[in-house]
Amino acid sequence: MTAVAPLSSSGPAPSGAAPGGEQDPDAAVTDSGGGRARRGLTPYWLLLPAGLWLAVFFVAPLFYQASTSVQSGSLEEGFRVTWQFSNYTDALGTYGTHFVRSFGYAAVATALCLLIGYPLAYMIAVRAGRWRNLLLVLVIAPFFTSFLIRTLAWKTILSDGGPVVSVLSSLHILDVTSWLGLTGGERVLATPLAVVCGLTYNFLPFMILPLYSSLERIDTSLLEAARDLYAKPATTFRKVTFPLSLPGVVAGTLLTFIPASGDYINAQLLGSPNEQMVGNAIQKQFLNVLDYPTAAAMSFILMALILIMVSVYMRKAGTEELV
Amino acid sequence: MTITLSGIAKTFGDFTAVHPLDLTVPEGSFFALLGASGCGKTTTLRMIAGLEEPTSGSILLGEDDITRLPPHKRPVNTVFQNYALFPHLDVTENIAFGLRRRGVKSVSKQVAEMLDLVQLGDMARRKPRQLSGGQQQRVALARALINRPQVLLLDEPLGALDLKLRRQMQLELKRIQTEVGITFVHVTHDQEEAMTMADSVAVMYGGRVEQLGPPAELYENPRSTFVANFLGTSNLIEAEVLSPGTAGPEQLRVQVVGADATLRLPAARCAVDGVGAGTKVLVGVRPEKISLAHTDDADSVPRGVPEDHNRLTGRITDASYLGVSWQYVVESPAGTQLTVYEQNVSRDSRLTPGAHVVLHWQPAHTFALDAAQDAAAGEEAV
Amino acid sequence: MSTTVHASARSGSGARGPASPVRWLRRNAVVLVGCAALAYLLVPNLVVLLFSFNKPAGRFNYAWRTFSTDAWTDPCGVADMCGSLGLSLQIAVLATLIATAFGTFAAFALARYRFRGKSTTNALIFLPMAMPEVVMGASLGTLFLNTRVQFGFVTILIAHVMFCLSFVVVAVKARVMSMDPRLEEAARDLYAGPFQTFWRVTLPLAAPGIAAGAMLSFALSFDDFIITQFNAGPSTVTFPMFVWGAAQRGVPVQVNVIGSAMFVLALAIVLGGQLAANRRKKS
Repeated sequence: MTAVAPLSSSGPAPSGAAPGGEQDPDAAVTDSGGGRARRGLTPYWLLLPAGLWLAVFFVAPLFYQASTSVQSGSLEEGFRVTWQFSNYTDALGTYGTHFVRSFGYAAVATALCLLIGYPLAYMIAVRAGRWRNLLLVLVIAPFFTSFLIRTLAWKTILSDGGPVVSVLSSLHILDVTSWLGLTGGERVLATPLAVVCGLTYNFLPFMILPLYSSLERIDTSLLEAARDLYAKPATTFRKVTFPLSLPGVVAGTLLTFIPASGDYINAQLLGSPNEQMVGNAIQKQFLNVLDYPTAAAMSFILMALILIMVSVYMRKAGTEELV
Repeated sequence: MTITLSGIAKTFGDFTAVHPLDLTVPEGSFFALLGASGCGKTTTLRMIAGLEEPTSGSILLGEDDITRLPPHKRPVNTVFQNYALFPHLDVTENIAFGLRRRGVKSVSKQVAEMLDLVQLGDMARRKPRQLSGGQQQRVALARALINRPQVLLLDEPLGALDLKLRRQMQLELKRIQTEVGITFVHVTHDQEEAMTMADSVAVMYGGRVEQLGPPAELYENPRSTFVANFLGTSNLIEAEVLSPGTAGPEQLRVQVVGADATLRLPAARCAVDGVGAGTKVLVGVRPEKISLAHTDDADSVPRGVPEDHNRLTGRITDASYLGVSWQYVVESPAGTQLTVYEQNVSRDSRLTPGAHVVLHWQPAHTFALDAAQDAAAGEEAV
Repeated sequence: MSTTVHASARSGSGARGPASPVRWLRRNAVVLVGCAALAYLLVPNLVVLLFSFNKPAGRFNYAWRTFSTDAWTDPCGVADMCGSLGLSLQIAVLATLIATAFGTFAAFALARYRFRGKSTTNALIFLPMAMPEVVMGASLGTLFLNTRVQFGFVTILIAHVMFCLSFVVVAVKARVMSMDPRLEEAARDLYAGPFQTFWRVTLPLAAPGIAAGAMLSFALSFDDFIITQFNAGPSTVTFPMFVWGAAQRGVPVQVNVIGSAMFVLALAIVLGGQLAANRRKKS
């Protein structure tokens, strides 16, 4: 407890930092007011409610889940810990394709979000001028309507024989997607394409906002410097803009990929049983079949796989200070 | 109110920001703490404000010991570096903040007076971010002064302003100080600012006060190389003292190391204790005190060198035009690059790089420092 | 020859050679794709709005039949829907209050103090945001099952506070870290005691971060479905759960009315606020 020292001027320089005014290192604020002992506990008191809440309702459940995942039994007789690791192998055996599908759909949706979201974020950050705030409002505006209602709207948009399907069909795009195995016949609904389209739609704002905030922070004089140093627009983008926006790309892809891989709403509302993702399986086992051990095992596998992927990705991307 | 710091010191972990320090700031004076980044001047100021608790020593305000008093109980106010104006309050509320905290109910009259004093009458309802740097500075000043503190502390108050505005604000601060008549303690790294405004200046270096005195005294008679270099520019020449008394009791004669020249200076202007024959000293002279004569007419009349002047020979290596003056760099056998400022009045056209010259100045303008110090201390500090 | 300017990405500088369609397209490709992306984001909202005026043939409101304002004149005409809306609001308000208070405390601790266990705490705060909802929902549900807690209002509230906390902490912490510590020193210097300093300076300065955290909490809580589904009781049907159920049985037009009304209302508030801010800036 004696390690506690209040710190009031660490981290980034105060926002009003010196234009031309020089900052004394000896101005470093290291407060040492009276009542040191009492003060030493202050951060712990402040953290107590939130920390306790998260410990009891976030961490402890994970342990409960771990223990449930190795239980056996039935609803009637009750479940007991029997170190039944076959729950894991069974889950993977039965729902292996669900896992593959989840990560596949999530990856494609994340890539699409990046592809669609980057130009929009770039447009808002660099080209929008005085329209910037309005455009930002429009990006978050969809949130004002419940996402379930909006997802249902895609049923209307992509409905069989509707305008979107007709256009895609007459342009022979459906032939291509059908050949790729993304659609079947003259339908978009109840196909992988519809599920990926829904996932992309639902998580697009989570990609755009971090991209925007990192693009907006780029000093335009850097881009001018690149141009001054004979970089073509494409080169400027590749060598300056994109690398500088990388923190936004990393944050955006994580914010898209993680929830997308655990989602079951899009698959349920826009897909058919052939597009079921691991989220659907967990939900069904937990809420309908009431086979809690299998649900827990699957949920644990999902969590572990995501944590592994995220940590590898973050190491590769080299940005670990995201949040 | 007089401030008396006795034995005040501050350490942060292993780092000593301020070594035990004794300082008295007389009532009603404009006192400057001058020094480079990290010299401990701001820490000293913050200890007076109560924002930093001294590791040892005590602070007296008049007769009262305020060492352990928290900042909000001290009759002392601060103008912060970058002003620290409350962004969520307008100008009026910023200025009224201190009065309101002390339970003053009707503040409008006093605020109006303050706005008048700092000439911001029509800005009363603006938010700080809608003001220019100079205006923000005035608000910060008014916010502190309205409380009629016994002492006003100013932490680099003009640091964020551009040069022209800074000049203007220097005069204005001085005017306000004369008007309100309270003690100002001003922290700055700008020697010109300190010299223009302050009655007395304490030059700090490495957590210690190097020298204390009125600006002219510090400039004319520096007692250390740091002060000599930090306040303006000095030419420092290595020399050895010749046996004292040979030039009369009030004068010292020194032999320049590496050159066949002797220089004279008043014994009172020697900052070394107990000089005797052979004592090594650094002889100093300010660039504007030195005159240049071309070697060809060094001994002629009227351009020649007066008999009683100190003289050194050298060769001009660089001459640059500064508008009001010319700056010459002269290489001398004394082994140093000497800087000379010549008034831009009637320039000898032969004084170009390569010309051999005689530098000469009055012995009374010469000072001597302890040679054990770093001769370059304070040169790069600004 | 004019001075060579290395082709800039700036648009609308007509002085640079003849305007060819290809050139124009190249220069404005970003804007075109950006607008298409914006359309992709907004079309569902417009469809929801449009279909709130539909009079569908069957129980499902997916195909357009005929214009009608029936649903708008009788928004609560569907059994249980407005009740679920009320429940969602109630939970969102409570969850926001609790999460904002606790999250703000924690954010101050993390932003202002150095203490043992700080990096662990940071990780604990970060983790819920890096975990799929289905995992959090299922594991919290497991806890309640194992401890035989009755599923219902309280369990939903607990779950919502749990996932909102992290977002509040992140929002408030960012704000507090960017605050100039000199402002609080200035307050102390100007005769404000510790409590007054906090109340008059620290809190108002942190307010935008706290407000952002609270708004985020409200939105997350109000719209949460996955975690709620795992922790709700049979009689506690939140609005998203009602919609989910309706999607299986038949979606009443009133759902579109609620969705559109919230959309239009929120948009009006935000845009109105923007306009007012702009006007204030000008005057």
